[in-house]
Amino acid sequence: MTPTVPELLLGNFLCLTSPPPPESMGEFLQGRVAITGMIAMLSAQEAEHGIDARVWENAAIRDLLRQGAARHGAAFLEAARAVESDLNLATLDRVNADLRRALIDLHIRAEISGDQGLDHAILRFYRQSADRRRLDLPASPAS
Amino acid sequence: MSLTRQLEAYLGRIWEQPVQVDNMSRIPGGASRETYRFDARVGGLTRHLILRRDPVGSLIDTDRRLEFLAFRSFHGTGLPVPEAVALEEEGAELERPFFIMGRIDGGKAQSPFSEPPYGVHAAGIGQQFFSHLGSIARADPFALPIAEFAPAPALDSCWSRELDYWEGVINEDEEHPQPIVRAAIRRLRRAPPPPAQKLSVIHGDYRTGNFLHDGAGKIIALLDWEMAHIGDPLEDLGWAIEPLWSYGETDRVSGMLPREEAIAIWESASGLTLDPQAFAWWELFASVKGAAIWISAAKEYRAGGLMDPVLGFSGWYTARRQDEVIARKLCALEGLS
Repeated sequence: MTPTVPELLLGNFLCLTSPPPPESMGEFLQGRVAITGMIAMLSAQEAEHGIDARVWENAAIRDLLRQGAARHGAAFLEAARAVESDLNLATLDRVNADLRRALIDLHIRAEISGDQGLDHAILRFYRQSADRRRLDLPASPAS
Repeated sequence: MSLTRQLEAYLGRIWEQPVQVDNMSRIPGGASRETYRFDARVGGLTRHLILRRDPVGSLIDTDRRLEFLAFRSFHGTGLPVPEAVALEEEGAELERPFFIMGRIDGGKAQSPFSEPPYGVHAAGIGQQFFSHLGSIARADPFALPIAEFAPAPALDSCWSRELDYWEGVINEDEEHPQPIVRAAIRRLRRAPPPPAQKLSVIHGDYRTGNFLHDGAGKIIALLDWEMAHIGDPLEDLGWAIEPLWSYGETDRVSGMLPREEAIAIWESASGLTLDPQAFAWWELFASVKGAAIWISAAKEYRAGGLMDPVLGFSGWYTARRQDEVIARKLCALEGLS
């Protein structure tokens, strides 16, 4: 996904180690520090759950592609064969991008052909995948 | 030369007398522009002002002239909108385009991600929030300064102009395939809304976080008009009611009011009647527009060398929350449990 956790943490480092101009001290700097803190906290969640979410999502997309291949073309069966060489986030994301492209094509075919069963299965998958990727930000106190 | 000295040089030139700038301080918010508060001492008086300068990279690409004219359109009309003071599209002494506006002190802006912030004032603030939006919708845009520069679409093309624009942003900036928002875009194109009832000024980012309240129940400033344009007034209402701004609440929109109550206030102030079918289209569109902004933020974060954490946060956490919102809307529209 974009941006990745390594990018975000590198960005935090760069942001915190770059001296701000005098007019950006105070409230603005405080706001930036707070956001870098939120990013660090959410990165911990991603480190804990991100691999599971992607493994689940990639497997679920493969199932949908296989399910759709019978009515909408063998190319989707081929697309479902994309596999991860390892389970790090970058590898999972690369495969996920290929699978998602195929899923978008399949969803279009399902909509055009009136394949409501597959359309609804894909919509349910969207909801589940979004839920699984969710990051939980504890509400900060109102100012 | 420091920004303070640059501002003194600029203001001294346009006001034709010496100006001293004090208390220059950048403030958070208004992520599409660098925003600074400062005081300008001129002719024995102190003017409390805000500088909005184009950034090197931005959450959204917007036109500062439109924003400036939007402030000018509504300042002094009874709505709490600051005065537009000066616009420099070529940057002049400050090197990048900017404008200056009046400052309203003593207000609070709430993050959409803080706890429901309004407490016992929630209903009262909600009354003002949706009433002010209705007043903006009621105004004749062609009698206002913004019409000098903002193109006016035909009533039946407001939706396509907006959808074309934001889909174009996604096409240009998407760095990872986004099936959820793509499905929403296709749905919007399959079932367009009816023509707009009228053309209105659209604030473009009318939501929690973009107004100031005094902590005692009064809205004192409507800010962040950088996406202002002319279009279908339902666009602004759909954006204001977008679940992303509701603090996770399901029974009050924007953490303020029950949905039906908010709509009734807007209808009363605007003089318009909400068509539920048309509004369902604009509500889904609001989520697509949000997704486009967060996708764009992710790209800009990388392009800017990862230096702006607001862009990183928006392109990551907020983008995922937006996906959840869109996926739920798509399922609900199909009656899926």
